[in-house]
Amino acid sequence: MYYVAETKIDKCSTYKCNQCVLFCPEPNTLMFLEQKNFAYVNQSRCKGCAICVYVCGDLLKRNCIEMVMATVSE
Amino acid sequence: MSLKYVTITTGFENYMPKDYVDLVRFGQFGKEYDIQELGTFKELVEEHPMCAGCFMAYFIRVFYASLPNPEDTIVIGTAGCARLALSQAAVPFIYGNYGDTNAVASGLKRALKIRFPDKEKDVVVVAGDGGLMDIGFGMTMHSWFRRENFTTIMVDNEVYGNTGGQESGMTRKGIQLKMAPKGKKFDKINAIELAKDAGCVYVARVAPTNPKRLAKTIKRAILAARHFGPTFIHAYTSCNIEYSIPTEKVLEDARMREKQDFSFVEWMTDEVKEYFEQIENTKKEEKQKV
Repeated sequence: MYYVAETKIDKCSTYKCNQCVLFCPEPNTLMFLEQKNFAYVNQSRCKGCAICVYVCGDLLKRNCIEMVMATVSE
Repeated sequence: MSLKYVTITTGFENYMPKDYVDLVRFGQFGKEYDIQELGTFKELVEEHPMCAGCFMAYFIRVFYASLPNPEDTIVIGTAGCARLALSQAAVPFIYGNYGDTNAVASGLKRALKIRFPDKEKDVVVVAGDGGLMDIGFGMTMHSWFRRENFTTIMVDNEVYGNTGGQESGMTRKGIQLKMAPKGKKFDKINAIELAKDAGCVYVARVAPTNPKRLAKTIKRAILAARHFGPTFIHAYTSCNIEYSIPTEKVLEDARMREKQDFSFVEWMTDEVKEYFEQIENTKKEEKQKV
């Protein structure tokens, strides 16, 4: 039971921004899809530090990422 | 320099390790990416066991993404947190004994120069404040006095984070830690001034708050070490466990420290400055031609 990051893709793709990706401490975790212009999280790798939430919410005031409870995919 | 030797011979794609194939197809092998493109390519470093929200892990991520020539780079680390992530990358990693890193790097760089006289092989030491400024102090200093051609990067978390929180030479005065309850009685060592006096040709102090600047600093330090002499980067990489920083506040803490006592400093000798100006001018000319 732990939290992982999740991007709100519809909202995220309205901005031309990949700042959260640039500040994630985990490699190959918070990725950016250039063609569709949004960031997405590889949840099995996310450690739940919420630095991306600070970047997107507190610094940029865009609030496109939130922490959600991790679910097990069957 | 051609990097064709990293490409896979046709027909062998199915037999090569998946990670290697991915690094050639979607990653940094044979190509140069800008740090702003992070998240769109496969990075050299893979999943590692460092703590959630560790800014040392972040520094190492940026470090690997900004290596000018990862195929011909060897990284040397030592005991301490940094080795946990450094060893999980597709770049050769050597584990020096505690304090030995710069002595190992000196020998390695000399041997590589003899073995590959017509090729640039980069040697980079990435170690903590304990490995470079406390236990490895003598070897670090003497490698600089001897003007060895490699880069030393100190990831400074101001504590012995791996062993429970003892104070190090880089801990600030007055700080109380779990294994140093009386508070530190002496000032933080001024590492960048020591490096300047000891003969480093490029010295920088940086807090990882600006990835573009960080990548530029790392690239410059490695390029200057190839031709001129020892280079040194002092990076602030907070320990959110021992300093009890909530993980979501780690970047805020780095920004605060940058304003207080970790402001960006970049110092280089005149010949290094000329060299960088030359490189930048040729790049500009190439862009104009395109």
